[in-house]
Amino acid sequence: MKGIFVYSEDIVVTKQLLNIGRSLADVLQVTVTALALNETDTAGLIARGAEKVIALSGSNPWVESYAESIAECIAKENPLLVIVGGTMRGKDVAARIAAWHSRGLVNSAMSIEVVAGELETKRMLYGGLAVCTEELSEGCIVTIDPRTYEEATTDSLRNGEVVSCTAKSNDAVLVGGVCPIVRERADLANAEKIICVGRGLSSQSDMKLVEDLAEKIGAEIGCSRSIAEDYHWLPTESYIGLSGQKVKPQLYLSIGISGQVQHIVGARDARVIVAIDKNEKAPIFSAADYGIVGDLYEIVPKLIEKLGK
Amino acid sequence: MLLQPLKTVFSDNRGQAKPEELNHMDIVACYKWVLDEQDIKIVPGSLLLDTSRAKGKISDYDKNVIEEAVLQAEKDDTVTVTALTFGNAKAKQSLKDALSRGPVKGYWVNDAAADIADGFVTANVLTAALRKIGTYDLILFGEGSSDAYGQQVGPRVAALLGIPAVTFVTKLELSEGKVMATRKIGDCTEDVTVNLPAVITLLPEVCKPRIPGLKQVLGASKKPVQEFKLADLDLAAENTLPKNKIKSIQGYVMDRKNEIYIDGTVDEKVNTLIASLTKDGLL
Repeated sequence: MKGIFVYSEDIVVTKQLLNIGRSLADVLQVTVTALALNETDTAGLIARGAEKVIALSGSNPWVESYAESIAECIAKENPLLVIVGGTMRGKDVAARIAAWHSRGLVNSAMSIEVVAGELETKRMLYGGLAVCTEELSEGCIVTIDPRTYEEATTDSLRNGEVVSCTAKSNDAVLVGGVCPIVRERADLANAEKIICVGRGLSSQSDMKLVEDLAEKIGAEIGCSRSIAEDYHWLPTESYIGLSGQKVKPQLYLSIGISGQVQHIVGARDARVIVAIDKNEKAPIFSAADYGIVGDLYEIVPKLIEKLGK
Repeated sequence: MLLQPLKTVFSDNRGQAKPEELNHMDIVACYKWVLDEQDIKIVPGSLLLDTSRAKGKISDYDKNVIEEAVLQAEKDDTVTVTALTFGNAKAKQSLKDALSRGPVKGYWVNDAAADIADGFVTANVLTAALRKIGTYDLILFGEGSSDAYGQQVGPRVAALLGIPAVTFVTKLELSEGKVMATRKIGDCTEDVTVNLPAVITLLPEVCKPRIPGLKQVLGASKKPVQEFKLADLDLAAENTLPKNKIKSIQGYVMDRKNEIYIDGTVDEKVNTLIASLTKDGLL
């Protein structure tokens, strides 16, 4: 019986993938195989629902170089479905494996379900304007973004086998310096409150106003793509949107952002969305829970003043 | 059997850049002609998409791809840039736009199959076209397209051609049959070096696309375009059929309160907002 194969280079993500992987396997009455790289916590993967763990070890620090070996493991298992952690490295590996094996690939699926016995995914199209539902071909690879699912719950009574194998070395790509990106601010992806600024702000010196409000309500500051990429007022990793950060705060307060769909898609998992913009017709208002139509240079100082009391 | 191509994957690209090749480099900038999502509306009262007013455009990410290729050629006159696309008959208009951005020649796989192509089919078609074209040292792609954002065609093509892929690149430098690239991967940057030929996928921040001037636009119509039909590419039938079955494409509707304060003084509006946020436990 063909099963479900789960892989991420990040074991934290693998544990999240086991959540959806195990529940699909239960519905389909099949087994789950997880592949882990250079990891010792194979017991943690078994406790979270894997019947079999393949521990792949290798000496190349560049995990993308293991794609061939991972592809071989997948081919040997011949699974019904392959779920890969949708990190950038994961998507890189997934696409190459899909090409080598003529498999379908659905990136950044929002969900995988069994509908009338068939596997179905939903994913976004047109910058988040639409949702595409597709029925998967056999052996399809699906990537799921980190934090889409909680880690699977553990059950220490679960049993499973561990198979160790060695990755083939492939040194076609030489990796030189690896530098962590130093973030000047806290990670937006985990922020509880976010204030997001757009081109409604007329100059960089007005960022002070936004910073004052952020301090008042305890928020991190993000921005629209043009503020980061065209104006460079904030670092690239501060921009929220389809190709930037996707955030899930409790409160998302946008200031001077018109709200094109590519931007909104990055914020739409927020619990409450608030918009301040002078253009009544700005699309951000149709995506907002609360909105104030007006001049941000009047409204933001007033908010700071009233919150100060 | 399935894994057979793997054995030859990296065998033909190491340490054999011939001297004459060092003096010339062909960059192929791949792009997709897409519907402008700004013009797509959700039909009121349904979840259907109305694309009837949507105009076409070069996918946003791919404008950066063409630009980066052309910037490399402007730095080094041994570099030749061509553009390659797979699209239906309407994609004809894209070639003028693409060529006005600097490539010297366009390649167009013109087939209605593009309308339903997924990443699997697109990669098979582009790979076959690249083999037909024959001359490529560096093949550039965007990280994804602005319509489907499938994020796979670049590395798929690399795998099919058996050459390395370096994905999510923000900076690249060419020298002596090699490319040095800086990738941006989540929370780190990574400097990598690969021998050519190679596929590189670019993040939009790599450069800012130019706006072509009148002279460039007029000049573009004089540049050569080579057209292929799917039948010219000797593809097996199964390689032109999408893998998954699309069941529906529906507008995404957000369920939000939409309480918008338009009238009243600044004081009143701010008070109402603070009251609402307090009630929601957010202040």
